Amino acid sequence: MTDVSTILQAAPARPGPGPQPRRGRLGISPLTPVTYLAALLLVGVTVVPLLFVFVDGFKTNAQINSSATALPHPWDTRNYTQMLTSAAFWQPLENSAVIAAIATVLVVVLGAMAAFALSRYAFPGREGLFLLFAVGLLFPINAAALPLYLMLDKLGLLDNPLGVALPEAAFGLPITIVILRPFMREIPGELEDAAVVDGATRIGFFLRILLPLSRPALVTVAVLAFVQSWNQYLIPLLVFTSQQRFTLPLAVANFQTQYAQNTASILAFTALSMLPALGCFIFAQRHLVGGFTGAVKG
Amino acid sequence: MPEITVERLSKSFGQEQALKNISFSVHDKEFLTLLGPSGCGKTTTLMSIAGFQRPDEGLISCGDRTFFDRAAKVYLKAEDRNLGMVFQSYAIWPHLTVFGNVAFPLRIRRMKKDALRRRVLETLDLVEMGDYARRYPHELSGGQQQRVALARALVYAPAVLLLDEPFSNLDAKLRERARTWLKHLQAELGLTTLFVTHDQDEALSLSDRIVVMDEGSVLQIGTPEDIYRRPATRFVAEFLGHCNILPARVATATSSGTTGLVLHGNGKPITLSGGDRAAGDEVQLAVRPEAVELTSDESASGENTYRAELRSVSFLGDHYVYELGIDGLALTVTDTRLFVGPAVTVRIPPSACRVLPS
Repeated sequence: MTDVSTILQAAPARPGPGPQPRRGRLGISPLTPVTYLAALLLVGVTVVPLLFVFVDGFKTNAQINSSATALPHPWDTRNYTQMLTSAAFWQPLENSAVIAAIATVLVVVLGAMAAFALSRYAFPGREGLFLLFAVGLLFPINAAALPLYLMLDKLGLLDNPLGVALPEAAFGLPITIVILRPFMREIPGELEDAAVVDGATRIGFFLRILLPLSRPALVTVAVLAFVQSWNQYLIPLLVFTSQQRFTLPLAVANFQTQYAQNTASILAFTALSMLPALGCFIFAQRHLVGGFTGAVKG
Repeated sequence: MPEITVERLSKSFGQEQALKNISFSVHDKEFLTLLGPSGCGKTTTLMSIAGFQRPDEGLISCGDRTFFDRAAKVYLKAEDRNLGMVFQSYAIWPHLTVFGNVAFPLRIRRMKKDALRRRVLETLDLVEMGDYARRYPHELSGGQQQRVALARALVYAPAVLLLDEPFSNLDAKLRERARTWLKHLQAELGLTTLFVTHDQDEALSLSDRIVVMDEGSVLQIGTPEDIYRRPATRFVAEFLGHCNILPARVATATSSGTTGLVLHGNGKPITLSGGDRAAGDEVQLAVRPEAVELTSDESASGENTYRAELRSVSFLGDHYVYELGIDGLALTVTDTRLFVGPAVTVRIPPSACRVLPS
């Protein structure tokens, strides 16, 4: 099946032999160098430190202590192989994955349903309800820490993966609805009328037409929710007491305090713990672009 | 037997009354057109029949099924009305192939896979889109998209086909072809069709009968010839093609099938056949430009024959349009022959005049 996002993007402007925007001989406009410079600066600030984490993981502690910025000489893979063969890495990875999966599924399913109702049903109080969801964006998770802890205690969800996944899903819903609602709203009403005239109920329209058409936006919110959950530190810290339930950020922090002198191993662990979220982002990158810009033309 | 009946339909949006007591019916296998300018209520009527608008008053039924009955508090949901509809924007779903779009109504109806496949391909062949089943909508031209939309509306053999200005997004040439093609298909399949348009040419060429609407009311219902030749009101006369409207006063009351009048523009006498008017009545005469006869013969005389000043001529390919003045009364006339001025002789046949209520 051809990718939906490309179809949606291609739909308004059919490729034709029409005139292309005027560019220089190499297709470079005078502004291009400036754009590149800005991009390079941004990459320097955000990516280079992360790159050091990866690269320094290939050094021994002695190498790091003599020069933190030089390339490893020789490249030493022992830090990574030790990590990859240790339960200290795989157990938290599994914990993180389970929690992120639950949180993501909840966010996408509930978010899509809420956005559907808020975008395509007319009912009194709709805008107020939407505002209520949007206000959730302004509500810092730290402020909720204490009441959340007490609530989870009452519910018996302390030291339980659900005690982490449920609050994460709750905190992920506002941004999900804020992204999905305008997207679903843009889908022309005639597409819905056509489905109804053909015999589809509202739920049928939601499942068979609206959800597939919203795929770029759904992938966007799914990736956001997954990465949010993956990097979440405070909630698992509050909830978990037993080490075998720790998620990756907790395990890395724990490892840091336990082996404070072993910088190289800490860097290797950190690097490995970032990989899944990074992979998720790269996988979804095409859709992310579509999700932020994609409007559906009928 | 599918027959749409609309009775005393009314609908208001806030203060504005969009539909005022609309009544008409679509007979079995008939092609009926709702014609009128934008805002006349034709689309509101169509949407009420489709089930996207809930009227305030009245009754809508299809065969022996009641769609809407205010008095009996019946309202059938749009998805249960089993109608086929082609939207102005076609509204085909961009994420499904041509096959997927046409198969959708059958999937909703849980048709078995083999039967579904056969039926979809049959329908696509019918609209001459069989070779495009695997294509996506954005790979199709406007005319092809429209056929897909039509196939989707026809695939489950709906009781009635509703068309909402389906040709308005096509260019002029394609529109004409699509029109002929649709008329052919409609007649061949014997589809009961309700068509909405503001284009008088479309309405005249496609319809078995036309319902002319304006400002939420039905002005006239009749065959295209009826509506064109015997318009009931000035609005109908002017909306369908060009029409000369000549104010006049009845001089001699109708007797033995003719009425004598005096034109207000220039005080000339004019006779018309038919009519039922008493002397002194103020009326308006509707005269189609092509019904007026022109001759260069200066000596021609007789009833309704006048000398006219030729003010301008324009050439439109298959005919000429003349702007004439009969002693100050402006008259537009068309003729296939070329006349050169400065004056021509004009004859308005008594049968070509139609009396409109003033």
